[in-house]
Amino acid sequence: MTELSEKVPAALSRRIGEEVAVEWRIDAKGVMTGWCRLRQGAFILPAAEGVARLGGRLSMVTASLSAGARQRGVREIAYHFDLDGTTLTLTIELPLEGAEVPSLTPVFRNADWNEREFMELYAIRVIGHPDPRRLFLDKSIEPAAFERLIPYSTFTNGASSTALWAKVMTRAGGEEAP
Amino acid sequence: MSRTITLGPREVGLEEPMYFRVEVEGETVTGLDVVAGQVHRGMEHLVMKRNLYQNITLLERLCSLCSNSHPSTFCTAVEEIAGICIPARAEYLRAIADEIKRISSHLFNCAVIAHIVGRGTLFRGVMETREIMQETKEAIYGNRMDLAANCIGGVRYDLAPESAAFLGREMERMKAPLDELYRIYATDADLTARTEGVGVLPRRDAVACAVVGPVARASGVAYDVRTKSPYGAYDRLRVEVAGEGAGDVRARTLVRLREARESVSLIEQCLAQMPAEPACLDTLPEIPAGEAIAKSEAPRGELIYYLNTDGTDMPARLKWRVPSYMNWDALAVMLKGEKVSAIPLVVNSIDPCISCTDR
Repeated sequence: MTELSEKVPAALSRRIGEEVAVEWRIDAKGVMTGWCRLRQGAFILPAAEGVARLGGRLSMVTASLSAGARQRGVREIAYHFDLDGTTLTLTIELPLEGAEVPSLTPVFRNADWNEREFMELYAIRVIGHPDPRRLFLDKSIEPAAFERLIPYSTFTNGASSTALWAKVMTRAGGEEAP
Repeated sequence: MSRTITLGPREVGLEEPMYFRVEVEGETVTGLDVVAGQVHRGMEHLVMKRNLYQNITLLERLCSLCSNSHPSTFCTAVEEIAGICIPARAEYLRAIADEIKRISSHLFNCAVIAHIVGRGTLFRGVMETREIMQETKEAIYGNRMDLAANCIGGVRYDLAPESAAFLGREMERMKAPLDELYRIYATDADLTARTEGVGVLPRRDAVACAVVGPVARASGVAYDVRTKSPYGAYDRLRVEVAGEGAGDVRARTLVRLREARESVSLIEQCLAQMPAEPACLDTLPEIPAGEAIAKSEAPRGELIYYLNTDGTDMPARLKWRVPSYMNWDALAVMLKGEKVSAIPLVVNSIDPCISCTDR
């Protein structure tokens, strides 16, 4: 374990104002990753400030709404930071309805695109974003695209294959269904 | 007088659809807004509707130039969650595929730089050198762009002794042309005049924009995933991280050419060190519920994948961030104060990948 395993929880706890525990994993190559769940969504801004003080970089943001989280009545955002090769993931849970989160753009300039992207894909409001326009999807498309486009994905998953196969076999004069 | 012009793909040296709203005063750029999303494919949604094995094929089609980095990094994430240790030979074979792709990718970008500054003969020379790599890919993998090299638990190809010897000979063929190209790009007075001091990204802005890869390394940020977070075979390879400090178009081009030369050395190291053992595991465990981060140094820089699984063979969430993602914002810094005529050159110098960005 490097000194990061002590510095990171200390920096996060100092900024947030309560004890924060980080789970560290080391892979077969000796590369460390840190994993931490913050108790409140609003904690992400002070936590990001703590990471910035350690010289960290915002690598990526993953918003998600998995079936497991939905059953628990929450959605999640995982913020991935780089600390000179070590990736620290801070996860927050937000409510399914009315989810909002503070913008990290005052701390990390590159939070801009990440936040604009998850705003258009999930029903999450980012408070304090300097430029909350759509990033990828046309403005005519309703927001929270990832949460609504299930019929399309079902279609692309080959849901029509049985019907198609039956048609093919009928035309070929063979059996009607596989 | 200030005005806004819209530039589409053909005006900026790309034939991919990324649009720019450029604020100009006279002939000078004063502001930039990048308009993405013209070919957005919703791939992060599609990967959650396919199983882990199908996704290897889908992810390889994210983009053509770094098409080995995506499936190999995804496989690494799956292997991390499942506790799979792939054979050392597979790690070397993944590195070989990655480095072959890096050489081709970097040379393509350097060729386009030559094209934009009107150096047709140089453009042809770079592309002819790159063609050695394209033919090598075709000979070894059966394809010139998508190699289909990766699978969970290892790789789908192997190098028989004669193939390894062929690859070694091709690497030997690359050395002199790569050295010569570096000499031309570093010393040619005409090229230097067109690229030196153009599109400057100072180190502090490179850090603020969080850029990675050759763009960061050309601005003095010596970050390379292969040394910072070693993966696969890279913990056993000697990787020289290329660096420049000027942060201009010239520096970015020189970093890529040095990295192409370094990739030749890495492939030779792989061929020398690769143990004789299977290239893939025979059996795989079930993929349990879990989450993992996997990173690699794609040709354009740090590629990061986050995978969350729930015990089924479908990902609960799979997210990736490509190195080009931050470069678009950095263009606003690079282009401010530049002439409108410099836009194609500067845009190309970040080696932009629209299909990676508009995933």
